[in-house]
Amino acid sequence: MLAKDISKLFTNPKMVEKFRDYVPFIAITLVVLMFWAICGDRFMSVRNWTFIAQQTPVLMLLAFAQLMIITTGSIDISVGSSLAFSAFFGALGMLWFGDVGLILGVLAGGVVGMINGAIISLLKIPSFVTTLAMLIIVRAIVIIASDGTSIYITAGTGASGGNITSVNAPWLLQMGKFPSIFIIAVVVAFFMWLFYEKTLFGQQLRAVGGNEKVLRLVGINVTSFKIKVFAAAGLMVGLAACVNLARAGAATPQAGMMMELDAIAAVALGGTPLTGGYGSVVKTIIGAFTLTIVRNGLTIAGVPPSWSQVALGLLLIAAIAISLNRSKIDVVK
Amino acid sequence: MDALDQKPILSVEKVTKYFGGVQALRDGSFSLKKGEVIAIVGGNGAGKSTLAKIISGAYIPDDGKVFVKGVEVERAKHSVTHMQERGIEVVYQDLALVPNMTAPYNLFLGRTPKKWGIFVDEKKMKNKTREVLEKLNVKTVQDLSQPISSMSGGQQQSIAIGRAIAWGSDIIILDEPTAALGPNETAEVEQLVEDVRDQQGTSFILISHNLDQVRRLADRIIVTHHGVTSKIFERNEITSDRLVKAITLGE
Repeated sequence: MLAKDISKLFTNPKMVEKFRDYVPFIAITLVVLMFWAICGDRFMSVRNWTFIAQQTPVLMLLAFAQLMIITTGSIDISVGSSLAFSAFFGALGMLWFGDVGLILGVLAGGVVGMINGAIISLLKIPSFVTTLAMLIIVRAIVIIASDGTSIYITAGTGASGGNITSVNAPWLLQMGKFPSIFIIAVVVAFFMWLFYEKTLFGQQLRAVGGNEKVLRLVGINVTSFKIKVFAAAGLMVGLAACVNLARAGAATPQAGMMMELDAIAAVALGGTPLTGGYGSVVKTIIGAFTLTIVRNGLTIAGVPPSWSQVALGLLLIAAIAISLNRSKIDVVK
Repeated sequence: MDALDQKPILSVEKVTKYFGGVQALRDGSFSLKKGEVIAIVGGNGAGKSTLAKIISGAYIPDDGKVFVKGVEVERAKHSVTHMQERGIEVVYQDLALVPNMTAPYNLFLGRTPKKWGIFVDEKKMKNKTREVLEKLNVKTVQDLSQPISSMSGGQQQSIAIGRAIAWGSDIIILDEPTAALGPNETAEVEQLVEDVRDQQGTSFILISHNLDQVRRLADRIIVTHHGVTSKIFERNEITSDRLVKAITLGE
């Protein structure tokens, strides 16, 4: 009797669907338990979790930006370069205008996003190609503009060297430490959730990913909407850049390299299909934490960095294989 | 039927449309009365879709006039939004719905009600959806939080027709409404059309390849041939053979 009920549970399509919904939560639980078992207190310590809470916010904000875009069915692989660009302009803004100049960093991200959106919607060039080009161009601009040097954020005390560009902003460095950085992440996550799940804009994101043609048919201006989406995501990247500037204490030309892939991986680990139309803020947060925890756990366990990259790749494939309903997909591109 | 003696709710006079030098429609003319179902039939490329898209506002005619309730549609204003304001809605063959969104979302497509300027008023949407489904006598749609891709084709088409009716349209263009549906679902949708016509006095323009369906639903049948609305038949005066001849040969 019981065995029959259980077998029913696993063959009932509704239950399978429900199970898929919970995959990201199950995955993160398993990952935590696994590293706890392997590394013990070295992993399960206040110190280590403080470290994780400090490492995740930047990735999480980048994943939010990516989530908006992926929900519409596009992709943005320029976020890593955009992060470096935004951080550089944020630091430059502080040099020029004082503390408020940091806003320039957020706006710089918005501008990069808007350019992406305009090229994609107006010139009708696929998002992958457009943002790949921007990934290269924006990085190059940062290197040219910075002349390859970094801008440092200092805490005021101690003389800085003669040829080092630096901004004195102890408050910003404080912001980049736990718990401030984590509080910022929580606040941004709440507003992101509100924005994505409850507003007309958020609803439209899913609708565009579902059937863009129909929206055009009923007279919705999808072209301008997509530019807005990329601009909004860009602002989020700009915000991530400012948080990263606070955490790292410097705007370096190499900042954010390969982070576009981490952001996409976090979204995918959150069970969001890259084909668009669906998505979840909460699961994206879980995805971002999973990624950080796995990387952190593998390091503590003594796995060499290259091998931990391999493990992350495998985890990504496994997560998608389980969380996506592949029986409904007949064409895979 | 008494309704058929009234003034036309829509009339199309000598409408012509070119696509890059090719004449898709020439001097298309017909009129539609309140509560009437008129069918447009014709082979592929005969101009029936062009005619329907001019009425829906998707195409602007190169020549000719369109009158809605006796008032001419100005060429400068001719658009989907304007035609919607004048009470004309289209139900497309490929179910112009967003599959990953809920029934309420699709019912309100392009008209999502807002709360405090930016938020979606979900309660209002659900209530209105229940009201519309009740009006349509659709009892099969229960869970309003499911994406409509989990519903049957007939249920989805009911939502599409519901959308047209919900906003007080008095003219609904059905563009191959059952082309993607099975026989049972087709019967369901046909019944829905008849109910709506009888209860709300809605007029329908039916574009269909299914001649049996056309003969079941339409009061009058317009045949287009090579871009010309060649013949208009009353339902009673036409046999299937005669209809097929008109479509293929233009006789």
